[in-house]
Amino acid sequence: MKTIVCIKYVPDTSEAEVKVNPDGITVDSSRFSFDINDADNYAVEESVLIKEAKGGEITVVSIGPKKSDVMIRMAMAKGCDKAVRIEDDRIAGHDPLMVAKVLAGAAKGEEFDLVLTGCMASDDGHMSTGVALAEELGVNHASMVKKIEVLDGGKIKVSRELEGGLMEVVELELPAVITIQTGINEPRYAPIRGIREAQKKELKVVKLDDLGVDPASVGPDASQIILEALYIPEVESSAEFIAGDPNEKAEKLASILVKGGLI
Amino acid sequence: MSAESQTFTERYDLLGCIQCGRCTGGCPVTVRANLNVRRFVNDAYYEEKLDELARQAEIWDCTACHTCAVRCPKGLKPLEVLLGLRAMIIESGKVEPTVRDALQSVLLEGNPWEKSRAARSDWMEGLDVKIAEPGVPVENLFFVCCTIAYDPRVQAIAKNIVRLLNKTGVDYAFLDDSETCCGSEVYTLGEEGLFEMLVEDNTEYFNEYSAKRIVTLSPHCFTTYNVHYPDLNKPVIHYTQLLDELLKEGKLVWKGDLPKKIVFHDPCYLGKQGGVYDEPRDLLKSIPGAELLEFERCRERSLCCEGGGGKMWVESESKKERLAETRIKDAKALGADIVAVACPFCVLTLEDAMKGLGYEEEMRVAEIMELLGEFIEA
Repeated sequence: MKTIVCIKYVPDTSEAEVKVNPDGITVDSSRFSFDINDADNYAVEESVLIKEAKGGEITVVSIGPKKSDVMIRMAMAKGCDKAVRIEDDRIAGHDPLMVAKVLAGAAKGEEFDLVLTGCMASDDGHMSTGVALAEELGVNHASMVKKIEVLDGGKIKVSRELEGGLMEVVELELPAVITIQTGINEPRYAPIRGIREAQKKELKVVKLDDLGVDPASVGPDASQIILEALYIPEVESSAEFIAGDPNEKAEKLASILVKGGLI
Repeated sequence: MSAESQTFTERYDLLGCIQCGRCTGGCPVTVRANLNVRRFVNDAYYEEKLDELARQAEIWDCTACHTCAVRCPKGLKPLEVLLGLRAMIIESGKVEPTVRDALQSVLLEGNPWEKSRAARSDWMEGLDVKIAEPGVPVENLFFVCCTIAYDPRVQAIAKNIVRLLNKTGVDYAFLDDSETCCGSEVYTLGEEGLFEMLVEDNTEYFNEYSAKRIVTLSPHCFTTYNVHYPDLNKPVIHYTQLLDELLKEGKLVWKGDLPKKIVFHDPCYLGKQGGVYDEPRDLLKSIPGAELLEFERCRERSLCCEGGGGKMWVESESKKERLAETRIKDAKALGADIVAVACPFCVLTLEDAMKGLGYEEEMRVAEIMELLGEFIEA
C-alpha cells in the first residue's frame, strides 16, 4: 500500500490570547506554539498502522514554512518514509480549494493507493481540503473516518462517523482519499532518537513551479473566497450566580433547567 | 563505552546487587502498588526477559524518590533499572498520551505543560525583575522551573523570591523566556535521547552566563543539574540555601508573626537526593511565632508525595490511599496547622490530598516562599 498523508502545521490557540493584526485579516502568531494539526496526527498514525500491517511506503505532503520541518521529522520518526514540503507564498492558503489544488499537484508526482488527511484543520475549521483533494485527483473519497479495513482486490472498507454516534460503513475502490476523524487510533510518541534517525530520510522542499502547478491557478486572484475580516466575538456576560445552601441551589438550578426546556 | 553498547547488566551494575531486598523493603509505593524493585533488578539480568519486564504496568509506579538508592548497602540505584525499562517503551513510541504530550511539549516548547515558550516569563508581569544577559557578571542566576513559571498555583514562589531579593539587595538575575526545562521528569520518564539533548543544550546555554552560581526554585531542577550535568561551569544551589545564608547574615527581617504549628515535609529531590535538610527548617523557625513540628518519618525517611518520577503524567492503576493522603493524615494527627514544603510538585500533590480529605478549613499546604512572602516588609 502506497500512502500519502497530508499534514498541516497549525497554531495552538486553545490557551493563547488571540489578537488580530492591524491588517484585519491575519492574527498575531508571535506568542503561539505550533504543532501538527490534531486530526492530521491521527492520519499519520493510521498510515503507519496500515504500513505495519500491510507493508508499503508513506509519503508526507505538507504546505508550510521551514520551521514545520520538525513536525515532518516527527512523522518520519513514527514510520513515514519520505516527505515533500511545499513552501511558496503565492498560494491562497485561506481557501481550501486552492490548497487542495496544490496538494493534488504534489500527489500527482507520486504513486499512491491511498491519501489520508485529517478531517478538519484546527485553525480555520473548513473541513473541506480532503474532499476537494479527492475531486482534484478524480478519485473516491470518504470523510470523517473512524475505522479503516484494507480488503483484497484494491478495496477498503471504512466507517464514517455520523451524528448521534451512528456509523456509516462504506466500501471504496482504491485509489481513494480518506479524511480521518480524531479518536480512530492513539497516536504514538516520536522519540528524539527516532527524530534524529529520520534526518536521513528524504525531505524535498519544492515550489509550485517544481510541481507543475501554475501559481496563477492557486493564488488570491484564482480564489473565489475573499477574506474580508477577522474579529474576536464579543463576550456576552449573562452568568447568573445562584445563592443559598446546596439544597436551595440544586432546587433553583433544576427549575431553571426545566423552565428553559433543557431537560 | 557508550550507554548504547553496554548490556543492561553492565549499565546498571546488576551483578553488584546482593538481593538483600532493602530496596523493596523501603520502597514507599509498595503499600499501594504491586511494585517489587528487587525482583526487577534480579530479572533484568536475563536479557531475554527485558521486553516482558518493560511491559509490566508497575514500572510506571516508581516515583523516583530514591529511597531504594539511599538504602542500598551496595551503593546501587535500583530505581534506574525501572527507568531503563521505561526507556524501552519510550523508544517504541507506545506510551500514555499524557506522557507523549508532555515529552513532545518539552521538545517543542521547552516545558512539559504544553504551554507556549513565549509565555514562560508572563509570571514576571508587574514585578521589577532583573533579567540576566550572557557575559554580564551576576552572583545568583535564578532558574525558575517549568511548573513554577506556568502554574498559577505555584507562581507565588517565584514572585515572592523576586520581592524578597529586591528588598535585601542581593545581586541576582532571572533568565528570560529562553529558559528551558532541566529534564528532571524527562529523565525519569525514560526519554534518554531527549534528556541527553537537554543536558547538552542547557549546559551550553548556562555556561555563557557569567554567574557565580545557579539558584533553582525547584528541588527537581536542583538535583538534576547537580547529578546529571557534569559540564556545568558553576555550582547549583536551591533557593532555601541562599535564603539560609541571608538569614545567618541577618539580612532577612520579617514583619508580623504567624502563631501556627508548621510541619515541614522534606521533598525527596531536596532531602534524600540533594542532602538539604536544615536550611528549610531554619527558614521556617525564623518566622516569628511559628512552632516547627516534625513528622515521625522525616529527613531521609521522609514519605514521598508521589509527584516525581514523571508521575504528574502517569496515573497509577492502584485505587488504594495515595501517599500524599497518608502524609496529610499524619500532619493532621500531629496537630499541624500548616504543611510546609519546598517543591512545587509537593504543593500540588499534598494540597490535592488535603482537599480530597476535606481538611481545607483547618489546614493549609504552603510552599516556604509562599509563607515567607507574607512577612516581607513592604
